[in-house]
Amino acid sequence: MERKKIAPGVYITTLDAEKFNRCRITIHLRFPAKRESATDAAVLPLVLERGYAGCPDMTALSRKLARLYGADLGVDISSAGVDRVLTVDICGIKDRFALMDENLTEEYAAIVFGIIFEPYLVDRLFDSEAVRIEKEALALRLDAEFNNKRLYCVRQARRKFYGSSPAGIELGGYRSDLPNVTPASLKAEYDRILSLSSIDVMVQGADAVRVEELLLEKLENVSRSPRPFAPAMAMPVIEPQHFVEEIPGLTQAKLCMLFTRGTAEDLPSISVMRMAMSLFGGSTTSRLFRNVREKQSLCYYCGASALRATGVMMVDSGVEPGGEERAEQAILKELEALRTGPITAEEMEDCRRSLLSSMDSLGDSLGGLESWYYGQILRDEPLAPPEYGKVLTQAVTVDEVREVLQSYHYSVCYALTADGKGAQA
Amino acid sequence: MSELQAIRQKAADAVNCQSVTLPSGLTVLCRTMPGYSSVHAMYATAFGSVVRNFTLNGRAVELPAGTAHFLEHKMFESEQGDAFDLYARTGASANAFTSYDRTCYIFTSTQKTDENLDILLNMVGHPWFTEATIAKEQGIIGQEIKMYDDSPDWRLLNALFRCLYREHSIRDDIAGTTQSIAQLTPELLYACTDAFYRPGSMVLSVAGNITLEQAVEACRRCGLYDAADQPEVTVSFPNESGELPAREAHLTMPVNKPCFALGYREKPIEKGDIRTEILADMLPDLVCGGMTELYRKLYDEALVNPEFSGDDISIDGCCVIAFTGESEDPQRVAAMVRGEIARLRREGVDPELFTLVKNQMYGELLADMECVDDAAEEIGMACLKGRTLVQEIETLAALTVEDANAAFQTMMLDENCAYVQIDPQE
Repeated sequence: MERKKIAPGVYITTLDAEKFNRCRITIHLRFPAKRESATDAAVLPLVLERGYAGCPDMTALSRKLARLYGADLGVDISSAGVDRVLTVDICGIKDRFALMDENLTEEYAAIVFGIIFEPYLVDRLFDSEAVRIEKEALALRLDAEFNNKRLYCVRQARRKFYGSSPAGIELGGYRSDLPNVTPASLKAEYDRILSLSSIDVMVQGADAVRVEELLLEKLENVSRSPRPFAPAMAMPVIEPQHFVEEIPGLTQAKLCMLFTRGTAEDLPSISVMRMAMSLFGGSTTSRLFRNVREKQSLCYYCGASALRATGVMMVDSGVEPGGEERAEQAILKELEALRTGPITAEEMEDCRRSLLSSMDSLGDSLGGLESWYYGQILRDEPLAPPEYGKVLTQAVTVDEVREVLQSYHYSVCYALTADGKGAQA
Repeated sequence: MSELQAIRQKAADAVNCQSVTLPSGLTVLCRTMPGYSSVHAMYATAFGSVVRNFTLNGRAVELPAGTAHFLEHKMFESEQGDAFDLYARTGASANAFTSYDRTCYIFTSTQKTDENLDILLNMVGHPWFTEATIAKEQGIIGQEIKMYDDSPDWRLLNALFRCLYREHSIRDDIAGTTQSIAQLTPELLYACTDAFYRPGSMVLSVAGNITLEQAVEACRRCGLYDAADQPEVTVSFPNESGELPAREAHLTMPVNKPCFALGYREKPIEKGDIRTEILADMLPDLVCGGMTELYRKLYDEALVNPEFSGDDISIDGCCVIAFTGESEDPQRVAAMVRGEIARLRREGVDPELFTLVKNQMYGELLADMECVDDAAEEIGMACLKGRTLVQEIETLAALTVEDANAAFQTMMLDENCAYVQIDPQE
């Protein structure tokens, strides 16, 4: 593994991929989120994914990927604390498996960099027809959120939790802002991202020297002033707030509980957080799984997770309508028991073994390995292999886990329940 | 080397799977993956939710809906405790799943492979059911059933199968209903394990940092090696033809966009007919996959979102090709899909599109082979269907556009078509 800086704010990381049938090239652009252009940022990946100057037509691009033996192309936007990350990745079979002995890797790099650096423009703006279509596609996606009740409940809880904080800027954009997205506004957001972002290219199993040459070539015509990463944040501690939304016809109620650390100081180590979540609700040996789901049969699913950069911990669950309050109390009781009660060496070791095993297996997937290293880049940590993560995990103590769990304060509970069956959660 | 030989060699290299059938009848498959740290194992039986009537040594057994899935949940429990506790001691991640035609028990681990294999094989090989443990599980599964009741995709498929089939048990949900699983008894569950969980009915497939010898040795330790009596089991499914039970169904749910499914009942595909099965898999991509003009038109006119897709399901006594999605104007989308099928039947498939879809399917098969869990599961699934992945790749490579054109003449016929729509409730 090697990460090197090739221009201001531009890095290339090469990862070993000898044992895989496929290779992968990924480019990440991390940039500051902005409320005013959040919807442009959400439309942008959809427009970029349709094609680029070298292959502007969406159907032609799909066919090009199929010709490359079904290479997978992804263009996506995700959150990194209050920043955003625009990612383009391509994964396809290595040359030696091509049925007609074609040279495939050069083509993969051309597509990834074409999409980011040479989008298809008409009079220096994005194609108005593509923008119109993708605005409609985003509208459909935003509307579809309600159809997935688990996701909808989590997002509603998140909206109440973050309010107007920068961390609450919607990753998927805003329905009400869609009419204001134009080919010009989209181009302005694209230019902003290209200029301000910190760029990381990850190469696995492809010719890294050639990829670097191509990248430097593309960067020649780009005006850049990269910004540092946004610092970590946390929502302030408040009295717990409860929200209930009744949905007629809902069969299983959903409950999402959010907790805040209240401060961005003294961020816990990622290893301690992983252990804490595993013990609380992130595994089949967790307290929530064993006690709330298995022993009490209160939920079909009940899991905990946390985000370090925004100081939030979340528990989401699916419960019997009318059983929300019991489930909420049972979840809080398990948290309190971990904070103040005994934690056995046995359950610590069960969770530790499971985490160590998952780190061992990271090297068996191109995506897993790439996420491991880019996760460290996002946290601004020096790059270390999963073996180092194992050493840190081995060292986590009960007191550290307890300290992390004690640092969270209950803030928001959002319940979706069937009409007339909702107990005040 | 001829083109066919070259393809066969590439396929064999890519799949690289060893197999053996033990004297007990158990099939063991192994894809050793040098350089990998993890191991994925799947122990599976071709006992899925659609098996509802069978004979065991001449005795007829009738099962309520949801039995295979319920059994899957119960297999994790033994008199000594929960298998999850045992896996926790080894650091393995374990799970199981039930589909229409199989039940699979899996684990992924990076250490203590032998111990994990022992847990898996002993857990599935030594069933233990009591009235009390069955009653406890009914609560958890009841919650799972409710979760799926809120899923529009799931409700659509269920309603579609009820339109297409009058008798076949695909009409019933995989998990059954709270009422159907309430009828389960230890005796019924033991009858299922006696019939379908014997070594001769099962497949153990492993991939990653493991050898075939290691897997066989585990079978030996767990008493699955030596020849054993195989019970006489017969399962039959109705062979449905003639009029569909219903052409159309409409439901309402708390959704904010209509959802739809357009489905075709096909002639059941004979076991071993890989060619027809691959064609059934390919046809939806030729009609409205991402590379087609139709998909482009639907997407550009915002009539569908990227989740719109066509898929097929082929199991004993049943074969369905279905197109599902969300749309503001679902009937128009359905009409356009039907129109495109009629056009392809009349004019034939674009040969270039056919080659591209074939390439894509080949790439997907190779992609599966580099991931331990997909590799173990795909080689195991192919075995349960009576074939190998190498045969699948060879068959795919040999398919021609003429085969696809011939398939359009006999498949996705209007007389076998049903339509289901879910509308937002008032």
